[in-house]
Amino acid sequence: MGRYVISRLVRWIPSVFILLLLVYALVYFGAGDPIKLIFLQAPGDVAYDPARVEAIREAAGLNRPFLVQFWDYILNVAQGNFGNSLVSGRSVNSMVAAALPVTLKIGLAAILIVSLVGILLGVIAALNQNKWLDNLIVGFALIIWGIPVFVAGPLIIVFMVLVLNLNVPYGWAGLFDVKVIVPLLVLGLNPMALIIRQARAGVLEVLSEDYVRTARAKGIPNYQVVMRHIMRPVLTPVVSQIGLLVIATLNNSILIEKVFGLPGLGRMTETAIKSSDYPVILAIVLIFSIVVMASNLLVDISYPLLDPRAAAKKTEDE
Amino acid sequence: MKNLRKYLMIGLAAATLSTTGLPAWADQVLNIAHPALEQSWSPLQGGGHVARWQSLWWAAPMYFDKDGKLTSYVLSSATHDDSFQNWTLTIDPKAVFSDGSKITAEDVVGTWNLCARPATKHARVNLFLGDVEGFNDVIVGKAKDMTGLSIASDGTISVKLSTPDPIFDQKIATALIPPVKVSQAVDENGAEKGDWWRPENGVVVSGPFMPESMDLDQGIVTMVPNPNFFGPKPKLEKVVITTVSDPITATLMLKRGEMDAATELITPTIIQDLGADFLGGPALAKGQQFWFDLSKPPMDDINVRKALTMSVNSQELAIAAFPEGPFTAATQILNKVPGVDPDFPKYPFDPEAAKAALAASKYKDAGHLPKIMFVGISTPTHEAAAQYIAEQWRKILGIQGTEMKPAIETYSGPDQKSVQVFRDDVGTRVPDAVSYLMGSIHSGSGNAMNKMGGYKNEEVDKLLEEASAKGVEDPDRIGFAQKAQRAFREDWMYIPYYYDVMSKWAMPWVQNFDKNDDWQVIEPWNVTIDEENRP
Amino acid sequence: MSDQAIPLQQEEKQFSLAKDAFIRLVANRLAIVGMVLVAFLFFVAIFGPYLTPYDFLSQDLMARNQAPSWQHWFGTDDLGRDIMSRVIYGSRTAVVVGFSTVSFSLIIGLFMGALGGYFGGKVDAFVVWLIDITMSIPSLLLVIVINVSLKPPLVNWMDAQFLATGNEFYRNTIWVDFVLVFGSLALIKWPKAARIIRGQILSIRNKNYVLAAEALGVPTSKIVRRYVIPNAIGPIIVYISAALGEAMVLESSFSFLGVGVRPPIPSWGNMISDGLRIWQLYPHVLAAPAAVLAIVTIAFSFLGDGLNDALNPRQWK
Repeated sequence: MGRYVISRLVRWIPSVFILLLLVYALVYFGAGDPIKLIFLQAPGDVAYDPARVEAIREAAGLNRPFLVQFWDYILNVAQGNFGNSLVSGRSVNSMVAAALPVTLKIGLAAILIVSLVGILLGVIAALNQNKWLDNLIVGFALIIWGIPVFVAGPLIIVFMVLVLNLNVPYGWAGLFDVKVIVPLLVLGLNPMALIIRQARAGVLEVLSEDYVRTARAKGIPNYQVVMRHIMRPVLTPVVSQIGLLVIATLNNSILIEKVFGLPGLGRMTETAIKSSDYPVILAIVLIFSIVVMASNLLVDISYPLLDPRAAAKKTEDE
Repeated sequence: MKNLRKYLMIGLAAATLSTTGLPAWADQVLNIAHPALEQSWSPLQGGGHVARWQSLWWAAPMYFDKDGKLTSYVLSSATHDDSFQNWTLTIDPKAVFSDGSKITAEDVVGTWNLCARPATKHARVNLFLGDVEGFNDVIVGKAKDMTGLSIASDGTISVKLSTPDPIFDQKIATALIPPVKVSQAVDENGAEKGDWWRPENGVVVSGPFMPESMDLDQGIVTMVPNPNFFGPKPKLEKVVITTVSDPITATLMLKRGEMDAATELITPTIIQDLGADFLGGPALAKGQQFWFDLSKPPMDDINVRKALTMSVNSQELAIAAFPEGPFTAATQILNKVPGVDPDFPKYPFDPEAAKAALAASKYKDAGHLPKIMFVGISTPTHEAAAQYIAEQWRKILGIQGTEMKPAIETYSGPDQKSVQVFRDDVGTRVPDAVSYLMGSIHSGSGNAMNKMGGYKNEEVDKLLEEASAKGVEDPDRIGFAQKAQRAFREDWMYIPYYYDVMSKWAMPWVQNFDKNDDWQVIEPWNVTIDEENRP
Repeated sequence: MSDQAIPLQQEEKQFSLAKDAFIRLVANRLAIVGMVLVAFLFFVAIFGPYLTPYDFLSQDLMARNQAPSWQHWFGTDDLGRDIMSRVIYGSRTAVVVGFSTVSFSLIIGLFMGALGGYFGGKVDAFVVWLIDITMSIPSLLLVIVINVSLKPPLVNWMDAQFLATGNEFYRNTIWVDFVLVFGSLALIKWPKAARIIRGQILSIRNKNYVLAAEALGVPTSKIVRRYVIPNAIGPIIVYISAALGEAMVLESSFSFLGVGVRPPIPSWGNMISDGLRIWQLYPHVLAAPAAVLAIVTIAFSFLGDGLNDALNPRQWK
C-alpha cells in the first residue's frame, strides 16, 4: 500500500509541474498585465503612463524573460513559498492559509452530509420502488439536479429573508455556526442528486440478487436485510463517486462563496482572475488539484477495504 | 407533510435567531457593505474602493466642505507668489496623529514623495502633484525625491512647480494624498512597507477614526473614534466595514437594516428596492461618455463617427441604463463646474442624417465596416446602455456583430486593432472648467491619449493652454474653455451618456453623510444614525 | 470461408442487439419523455429562430420587464426584448455549445483511447497518465483561466486578419466565445470517452475470436469495425447524452461568472445571470430561462438513464 501511494505521488509531481507551466503561460501571455490593469481598470481620471508602468514592472521583476520568472516561481513553490500578490503585495501563503480551511471545512461537511442523506434517501427510494415515496425522492433528486447552484443560492436567501423574515445568512463564524447551514445545503444540492441516483440504483441491483431475495423470503426484517446485505455493495459505487463529488463541490464553491460571504478559496478565485493576479491564481490551481488528487488517492485506497472483488477487477483492468 | 414543513421552518427560524441573534447594532454603529474583498487597505493607493473610506481615518491636506469651500485641515494655509509657481504650505500646529505626536513637514514631504515612487502604485498622484518640480523623474524611478518639495522651516513646506498653477491649493485638497507617519510607512530603501497600515502593526492615523481590527481574510474592518483627533469629536461609536460582494445580498441586508450604507452598489432596480433617497445627492463634476478611438478603423473617418452618434437617442439611452434616474442624460463634457456652456448645441438624433453620413464615409455601408467593440462595459447598467446603442446601430445603419467587454486592458494596447468605443468617465476634483477639459480633451490627457487614440486638435490645445495660465477670476478662463469645448464638438468624438451624481449609497437613517467627488464622506465626525427610523 | 462466417454471425448479433435495445428504450416511459424533449430542443434550435414571433435583438424601451401576456408569452426583459424569442435563440446557443463540446471531446477521447488500447505498454501508460492529470484538474477553474486568457489574443489576431485581408470570416469574433467555451470544455471532458474506448479495446484484445481473426490475417480496420465499434457504441451513446446535458449547464455557469457567451447573443446562462439581478421585482425574467435549462437538464438525464438501461443491460438491472 505504501509503495502504491508513493508511486502515485511520483507520477503526480510532473503532472503538477506541467499544469503550473500551462497556467503560468496562459495567464502570463494572455490574461493581461496586472500592473497595467490597476491603472486601466480604474475610472477615467487615472492616467496611464507607460513609462511609469514599466518602472513598476521593473521593480516587481516582471520584465524578466518568461522562463526565468517561471523557474524562479517553481523554485519558490518547491520551498513552500507562493510569493506575493502582484496587486496588493500581500503574501499568498497567508491568504491561502486563511482561505483554505474555510473551503475545506465547509466542503468536507457538505460531502459528508450529502453522502449520508443521499444514501439514506436512495435506499428509502429503492426499498419503496415505484411507490409514491420513491417518486417523491426521485422527483426531488431531479429538481435539485436541474437547478444550477448559482440560481438556488440566491433563491434560498431571498426566500429566507423575504418569506421567513430571517437574517441574511451571510459571513463565516466557524463550521458550527448556524449561518453555515444554508451554504452547506446549496453546496451539496447537485452532488446529492448524484448520490441518490447511485445509491438507489445500487440497492435495486442488490435486491434482485438471489441471496437477498432468499433472506427477504425467509422473513428477515427489512432493515436487517439492508444492514447486513445491502449497505456494503451500495457503498462501493458511492465511494467511487467521491472524486467527482470533490470536484463538484470545489466548482460550486467558486460559484456560491461570494453569495454567502464565505472567505474561502472560491471567493479568492474570482478576485484574482479579475485582476489577473497570477501568483494567487496559480496557488489556487495548485491547491485545488492537490485536493482532488488526494481525494482520488483516498478513494483508491479505500476501495479494496469496501469490496475486495471490485478492487481485484480494477487492477486487472489497468 | 404540511405539519412537517411548518415544524421545519419554525426550527430553522429558532435556530437561526438564537445564535445569529440580532446584528451587531449598538446605538451609533455604522455598518457598511463593501463590494470587494480587499487585500490592501493602504491609504496610498490613490483609488479603488478602499480609498472611499479614507476620510474616516486619514486627514487630508485640505478639503472642500459640502458647499464647495476650500477648508484647512492638516494644512492651515497654502499661499503662492505672483508667478503661481512657488507655494508655501503651513501645517496646522494642532494637527497630530492618533498617538499624540505632531504631523511634521517631514511627514508631508515624505508621504508625497512616497506616493510618487513607482513601487507605491498610487493611481492618481499625477493629478495632485504632477506639476511639482522633479515629479517626472520620481514617477519613473529615476529619482527618489521631488526637487520641488522642501522643508522651509519647522511646520512649513515650500513647493516649486514646473509650470504656473493658480489652483495648486485646490488640487491638493484631497484625502488621496494624506500625510502619514513616514517613519512607519517607509522602509530603508524608500519603498512602502508591507502591511504598515494594519492596526496589529500599531499604525497611527490622523483622521477622526482609527482602525481597531482588520480581518482581511473575511474582509471585515472595524474603526473606533480616534481619541487624539485634532478636529471635532466624532459622533459615531464604531464603523464596521464588511465585504458583501453580491449585490443582491447587499440589497437585502440594507433593506433589513443589517447594513446602513454601501461603498458602491449598482443594480438595475436599486431605486425600486431601496428608494430614491439611497442614491440621491448633488450633481458631480463628472460625466460618463462613450469615447471613439480615432486611431482604429472605422473611427478614423469622421463621417462614421457622425453616423454612429446621430443614430443614438440620448433620452432613450438614459432610459435603457437608468429608467428611474437619478442620473441625467449628458450633452456636453462639462458638468456642474462654473463654465458649463448654457447654449451648447447638443448632438442631434437624426436617423436619416446618420445614414447619409455613413454613405458619405469611405466605408460606404455597414458591410464594409470592421467589427466594433465596446469596452468598459463593467456593470449591468452600462451593459444595457451598450446593448441599446448596438441595437440602434443595427436598426438604423445595419451594423452587425457589435461586441462588448468589461475590462479595458487586454484589448486596448497600441497593436490591437479593434476596440473603438470606450465607456469611461471624465471629471475634475476642482471646481474649474479648464482642468476638467485639460483632463479630458487636451491632447496631453490620458483620456485623449488612451481612450481617444491620440486625439489632438491644435485649436483645442491652444485655447486650453492659454486658459489655464489665467487667474481664477479672469472671465477668459471660462470663455476659452467653452470655446475649446465647442471646437471639440465638431470632431464628433463621443456619444454623450450621463452626468454622475454624488451617490450617497446610504439608507435614510444615516445623517450628515455628504460625500465629495471621491465618494468620501466630507465630514465623518458629523455622521450620526437616526435610530428611530432604523428598522 | 471461415473468415466470412464470423462477421456474418457478428452482424446478426449486432442487429438483434440494436433491436433489443430499441425495444427496451421504448418500453421506458421516462426515457421517451426525455427523448421527445431532446428532439424538440433540437427542432427548436434548428428551426426556432425562423419561427420566433419577434427578432431576439429588437428592443422596445416602452415595454420593459413586462409580465407574460398574449403578445409576449414569456414577458419581456429589461430592454423590452421578447424573452421567448431569446430563449428560443438561446437553445441554438446551447445546442451549438453542447454538440461542439461533445464532438471535440469524442474526437480527442477516441483517438487517445484507441492509441492507448491498441499500442499498450509505454504509450498506454502515457495515455493513462494524461487521463489522470486531466481528471484531477479543477475543471471550472481551468476553463475560466483558459477563457479569460486566450480570448484577447485570439480576438486581436482575428481583427488584424480582417484588416489585413478583408476576409469576412474574421470580422465577426463573437464565434470566438463559442470556440473557447467548447474548446476548453472538450479539453477537460475527453478522458471519459477515452476510458470507454480504451477499456473496450483492452477487454476484447485477448478474446479468442479476436486472436483468431488476427491470426487469420483479418486487417485491423476490419477488426475495429466488427468488434470494437459494436461493443463500444452503447457506452459512447450514453456518454454523449450525459455530456450534452452537462455542457449546457456548464455554459450557463460560465455566463454567470462573466466568461462564456457574451451579450447581445442570447444564451440561457447569460439570460439567467441577467435575470438574477432583477428577479425580485420581475421574476419572469429569471423564470423562463432557468426553467428551460432545468427541463433540458432533466430531459437529458431521463434519456441518459433510458439509454443506459437499454444499451448496457448487464450493468443496470
